[in-house]
Amino acid sequence: MILIQEEDFHVDVLYKSLLKANQTGAVAMFVGLVRQFSDLPKEACSFELEHYPGMTERNLQAIVDEANARWPLLDVCVVHRVGRLSVDDQIVFVGVSASHRSEAFQACDFIMDYLKSRAAFWKKESEGSESRWVEANTNDEKSLERWSK
Amino acid sequence: MLKVRVVFFASLKESIGQSEYIAELSLPMSICELKHQLANELDKGQALLEKGIQSSIDFEFARDADIVPESVSEVAFFPPVTGG
Repeated sequence: MILIQEEDFHVDVLYKSLLKANQTGAVAMFVGLVRQFSDLPKEACSFELEHYPGMTERNLQAIVDEANARWPLLDVCVVHRVGRLSVDDQIVFVGVSASHRSEAFQACDFIMDYLKSRAAFWKKESEGSESRWVEANTNDEKSLERWSK
Repeated sequence: MLKVRVVFFASLKESIGQSEYIAELSLPMSICELKHQLANELDKGQALLEKGIQSSIDFEFARDADIVPESVSEVAFFPPVTGG
């Protein structure tokens, strides 16, 4: 399941959606949050996520397809929020279920690494009346190297 | 001439001052050549030539050397992605 939405998500509901009766031996999950990025009180800060409708979904599907090709997975769930968020809000959920923990851990890590550099999302931070677009982190691109076949 | 919808995102959209533009392309043309054409046609198009600007052809990531196909319906330009 791949969802791009403005609404918040419930980790317990997503966790249960990943379970396959009599098959699931491991579930690995990651949740990304908006952390404090300013000295101003968090009420004065906001955070905005823009995406490219049509492309972002394809990007995420391609990443999930690649994860399924690399590891024997039972199910994958990716939920990414867009729109205006606040400090401490949840941004992204990646969950993977598998028979064993190794492939669940690795696939979850792989999907997040690729999501950071290969999915059409852009972040904008605002503090008071000032806004700035978050620049890409070169370490995110470098972290993909460890997945080279 | 082929009319193609070109869309811009995030900081590039703000720099250029518009989210989309209908370009008239004379194919064959590469993404790099399209960037330069738009940089000349749009008032604030020089922002397209800044380092790191990425692109897509019909929702798939593209590179500067990629040729825009005759079947194209939409090209996008945007800064490096920062999701997650």
